[in-house]
Amino acid sequence: MALDALPDPIYLLELRSTRTAALELLLLAVAGGTLGAFVVLRRLAFYTHAVGTATFPGVVVAEAASFSPRVAALGVALAYAGGVERAGRRGRDPGAEATGLMLVLALAVGTILASDVFSSGAGVDRVLFGSAVALSDADVAVAAAAAVLALVAALVFGRAWAAVAFDPGGAAGLGVPGRWADLALLAIVGACAVAALPAVGALLVTSLFVVPAAIARLVTRSVAGLVAASVGVAAALGLLGLYGSVWLDVPPGPAIAVLGAAVYAVVAGALALGPARTPREAPA
Amino acid sequence: MSAALEVRELAAGYGGDPVLTGVSFAVPAGSSVCVLGPNGGGKTTLFRALAGQLAPAAGDFDITGRPAYVAQAAHARLDFPVSALDVAVMGSLAGRWWLPARGRDRDAARAALERVGLAGSEPTAFGSLSGGQRQRVLIARALVQDATVLLLDEPLAGVDPASAETITALFADLAAEGRTLLVSSHDVEGARAFDAVLCLNREQVAYGDPAAVLDARVLETTYGRELILIPESGGAGGVRAVAVQHHEH
Repeated sequence: MALDALPDPIYLLELRSTRTAALELLLLAVAGGTLGAFVVLRRLAFYTHAVGTATFPGVVVAEAASFSPRVAALGVALAYAGGVERAGRRGRDPGAEATGLMLVLALAVGTILASDVFSSGAGVDRVLFGSAVALSDADVAVAAAAAVLALVAALVFGRAWAAVAFDPGGAAGLGVPGRWADLALLAIVGACAVAALPAVGALLVTSLFVVPAAIARLVTRSVAGLVAASVGVAAALGLLGLYGSVWLDVPPGPAIAVLGAAVYAVVAGALALGPARTPREAPA
Repeated sequence: MSAALEVRELAAGYGGDPVLTGVSFAVPAGSSVCVLGPNGGGKTTLFRALAGQLAPAAGDFDITGRPAYVAQAAHARLDFPVSALDVAVMGSLAGRWWLPARGRDRDAARAALERVGLAGSEPTAFGSLSGGQRQRVLIARALVQDATVLLLDEPLAGVDPASAETITALFADLAAEGRTLLVSSHDVEGARAFDAVLCLNREQVAYGDPAAVLDARVLETTYGRELILIPESGGAGGVRAVAVQHHEH
């Protein structure tokens, strides 16, 4: 692949399409970074990947039926969130076999349906990996709504989510309604993941909802610090990934994901090779 | 003396047949009760029922004041980004989990940490504390709840002897303040230091003064083959009992 010269960032901001994409990714950084902190703490990374992928066949069917893909994706995501919560309540592990099976099923069904619905592979690529140039004002409005939803949810549920993730039995003893807190987290992550589909696609929702928080988790020692750092990392990855996607002429989802994975590897490697962090010792 | 806790023919479980039945006892305020029983004998089920986490399948109970269930410290995640103060502040979630912590909640948490002998440890990462210190942080969290009845689930499990001594002294102090303590344990000999002992094995086996209750028959009914009885030296006919613990791995 021949690389073009690096584009001038100022020039890119003069383009309406890249301005829209930058705004969209900043808003998604607020949603993904905030929720991602609790996704990582609650060990729901696999669920977050799965809920994005689960929307794939729903979006394809909606395209074929001239129905709103966004509404279809939201319906699928919320139904999946409810199913995972129900499975977890019955003591089954929703993070392993069932999720893996669902991922394969969603991709297979979506791919089979897509071959009849889309006339070119570009349409499938857009659903799976997102697009920087096809974002609309409506997409930005939905991303803004997702950011507000994530912030309000974190304010209302954040302490409960942290307590349940830290010590489920102890949280129940404190009167925290763990089941409802979990259901709220699953549903809100599902809804906000739908907002991210136009930008990063069904397959790479985790590039904004898991990877930034996973990076922030390496260097933070408090829940509040984790949330703040996660939003900051998501914003930086989003903007740099957008720049890279324009430069390399690839969708933003893969660019953000590759950049995020590289940053994670560098930070984790530096921490592993650097001097051991000494935990603050308590008085005896 | 009025009862802080009175339990009447309580049965509790998890939806199917009750895993614990026929529990009846009364505890005066400021008393400490050791709850003995094998793994699966119903100790945690009893505590969860008394804490309101499980609806009784039969019977009922009255608690004067607020109960707090202190789960085993081993169940808390050591890799979690929280300090000792953060964990103690979680006690303010009770009854207002949807609201942010206030300044007075942090003050109460600091006071509770001082109360359990951990003044100065507020910023220490929870995972960096010793097992005994982590257990004391969880007790501090219960104190922030302003609980009058503390339900402590195996607080001495996996704790080094020095920390166990500190925690045991803390129990005495809390009882002297008028708080009522139910402490589940496998330490049969340690149970003799409590005001009362409750023996469970899927049903109530015995309840009362340890000196009167803890005889060979009660212990064998409680633990079955999970108990080793060692004749005490001196030939007076006494026995020391050691419960064999099975841990899930």
